[in-house]
Amino acid sequence: MTDVRSWIRVGIIAGFVTIFLALVGLIGRFVDLNLVGEQVTFARLVLIAAPLVAGYVVTRPRIQAGERRALAPRDAIVAGAVSGATAGFVFGIAVVAADAFGIDRIRSVFLNVSEPLIDFVTFGQPPVVGAVILTAVSAIAGGLAAGLRVTPIVARRPITTAVSTILVLGFLQRIIPIALDQLGLERDWLYSRSIGGLTWLGAIAVGAAAAGLSVLNARKGRELRARLFSAGEEKTGVAPAQLVLVLVLVAVLVAVPWVVGEVISQVLGTVLIYVLLGIGLNIVVGYAGLLDLGYVFFFAVGAYSTALLTGAALNTFTGSGPPAVSLDLNFYLAIPIVLLIAAGAGLLIGAPVLRLRGDYLALVTLGLGEMVTVLIRSPWLVPLVGGPNGMRGVSDAAIAGFGFRETQHFYYLALGFVLLAVFVSWRLSASRIGRAWTAMREDEQTAEAMGVNTTRFKLLAFAMGGAIGSLGGSMFAVQIGSLTPASFEVQVSILVLGLVILGGLGSLPGVVVGSLVLVGLPGLLREFEEYRGLAYGAALVAVMILRPQGLVPNVRRSRELQEEERAQDEWAQEKEVEVAAVEGMAT
Amino acid sequence: MSEAPAVLEVRGLEKHFGGLYALTGLDMEVRGREIVSVIGPNGAGKSTLFNTITGLYGPDGGDVRFEGQSIVGLKPSQITRLGISRTFQTVHLFPNMTVLENAMVGQHSRSRSGVLGAVLRLPSQRNEEERIRGKARESLSFFGPRLSGYRQEQPAFTLSYANRRRLEIARALATEPKLLLLDEPTAGMNPTETQELTDQIWRLRKDRGVTILVIEHDMRVVKGVSDRVIALDYGKKIAEGTYEEVAHDERVIEAYLGTKASA
Repeated sequence: MTDVRSWIRVGIIAGFVTIFLALVGLIGRFVDLNLVGEQVTFARLVLIAAPLVAGYVVTRPRIQAGERRALAPRDAIVAGAVSGATAGFVFGIAVVAADAFGIDRIRSVFLNVSEPLIDFVTFGQPPVVGAVILTAVSAIAGGLAAGLRVTPIVARRPITTAVSTILVLGFLQRIIPIALDQLGLERDWLYSRSIGGLTWLGAIAVGAAAAGLSVLNARKGRELRARLFSAGEEKTGVAPAQLVLVLVLVAVLVAVPWVVGEVISQVLGTVLIYVLLGIGLNIVVGYAGLLDLGYVFFFAVGAYSTALLTGAALNTFTGSGPPAVSLDLNFYLAIPIVLLIAAGAGLLIGAPVLRLRGDYLALVTLGLGEMVTVLIRSPWLVPLVGGPNGMRGVSDAAIAGFGFRETQHFYYLALGFVLLAVFVSWRLSASRIGRAWTAMREDEQTAEAMGVNTTRFKLLAFAMGGAIGSLGGSMFAVQIGSLTPASFEVQVSILVLGLVILGGLGSLPGVVVGSLVLVGLPGLLREFEEYRGLAYGAALVAVMILRPQGLVPNVRRSRELQEEERAQDEWAQEKEVEVAAVEGMAT
Repeated sequence: MSEAPAVLEVRGLEKHFGGLYALTGLDMEVRGREIVSVIGPNGAGKSTLFNTITGLYGPDGGDVRFEGQSIVGLKPSQITRLGISRTFQTVHLFPNMTVLENAMVGQHSRSRSGVLGAVLRLPSQRNEEERIRGKARESLSFFGPRLSGYRQEQPAFTLSYANRRRLEIARALATEPKLLLLDEPTAGMNPTETQELTDQIWRLRKDRGVTILVIEHDMRVVKGVSDRVIALDYGKKIAEGTYEEVAHDERVIEAYLGTKASA
């Protein structure tokens, strides 16, 4: 029967995924990372993650003869269990084989394979017994996931909300307790000091609260929202609740660095820098549709020109040398000059690539971006930017003696510039200029024929995008106070492009969400630092498959992405009509 | 026919694509407020002529003059600004912009506010934006209820085929052209719609004083709208005159049907 084969196939894939996760160390290294009590650990979660997903995937409703058909609960649970068991079995065989082959021999290639790992995945039993237990546990996991799939939505939603809330809070065990401490709140009932994760009491309380809110939202959510946001709308156009919401948002934004403490403020500062970069790149890629892979260029231009103008000194072997440019401008006087320099640099980058499109444009900009690293490392520019040694002593952007180098202060400076950039970007997009960019993105030749000077508007996009991106560079220079070429590698370009795409091309909220996910999360979850690349790749692949328009899509851009599919549909329909016509003639 | 000055003059126009000679020494002119049809079999060079006039292609020889000024070498956007606008043989709308926004893009070259105006929303910019919107609405209103009301806020791809063609014309009108080039405006329309558009082409000249050069395959339309017909074949003008004259010209018949018993 084909169904069984597909369950097993998915199960085998899941088994190999678990093997992969074990090999890269996501299991072995996190045996002691407690999420809830000492029972729910990250390692255990990883061990059953693939079977859970497998169980959920194989029970998706099938489209049969144009109808969506869900599986009957019993069939679904059997399917999930079979799939999960297969996954566990595959992994179990791998464990037995590994043990037979010799752990030490495997470790010479896969560093993460160790006795404790084998011990953990076999539950302290001999390998064969362990494999049997693994199969059983995985079968239960698969069955549970399948069971969740066939649970009516009324119950399913609170359950998933509760579980995901508990897990998220479990992961944030380094952050939330600090915040609670800062606020002077009692934390011991929620987070255990000795084992790290949530306490069982805390988990149950949080889960119940989340489930409760979810039920409330499902039953009364629409009504409540309608009541909150419509009252008073006739008079002022702004509902009081909306005003309150904005005020709360502002209050939160202002209070955040003092609530979350220094470590997280540092991370947030970096997130804000990337938001600036993202907003800039979004103008080039999202609005004007020009794929730029060399965006680090503007990051470097912003950082180095800020450093030079504010009188930073060259690093030498003996310490700090003389300032390269003895201008020693005030930071706020330097910023407009930095913007002009960056806009000029945008024109410089833009001019040679005006005739290029798509892949070619991407390649050339990649090369141009790479040049910046070569330049700032080159001996030729040592007298100006210090070469590989870099510079130090960048202004701390002080206003009347109030410096912004300190992490919690820096946050405000960066936030200010982010708000400015958001405002500028939003106004541009909603103007004649934004319209010209959109037209150019959709059909360059036609835009030109309708009177849009595409040369000028491409250059304008590069200049505006570059100027806003350079603010990110300025902020970076202020934040760390010294610069070395190592901070301006191609990875920056890729990361910024990634966050813009992840958030949704052309979407400003998307840039913020993208930065939080790709820059904020890795900064917060320091334990997973090494897995940044892995998570980054997985996240992009997942988004491209599940939500190609991005997390917070721009409506128009998402339509453009669907266009191709629509064209195919139309074609298929036409064919159907043709076929029908031919058949009609035949009869 | 009164001899108005020539709005468009084409002299010895050449356009080659490798070994293919799409236009070979073409001479023609269009006078003010005239409606001229260009006909000819497929591959005769009609669309190449349009693309060369509007600056999409640079000619390989000859000259194109608009209101006495040579426009060879100008960018398409500059030519649009001078007052030549066009529609495309295959519809080229901005599919994900709304109907109104499509028409508003047409106003681009008639407006000027820049970065500062957009960011600060200066009064001048707001007025201009209002004017752009007004002009765009006015262009759309040329087609009466077809492109009005709720439709204006819908993305262009939702329009029916005939309405897409109409929107292309409206967008071209929004550029405030003196000379309008229509490339097969009735392609894909049913007889009723074709008749309607034929009347509207007349009205374009009557109400707006636009000079029109139109490529058309439907001979009823050609007969209906043209003051003068120019027939092309192999990049050359093979006949010119009233519809009746051209329709009975032997070379034209030969171009369309082949020579009698010559094979």
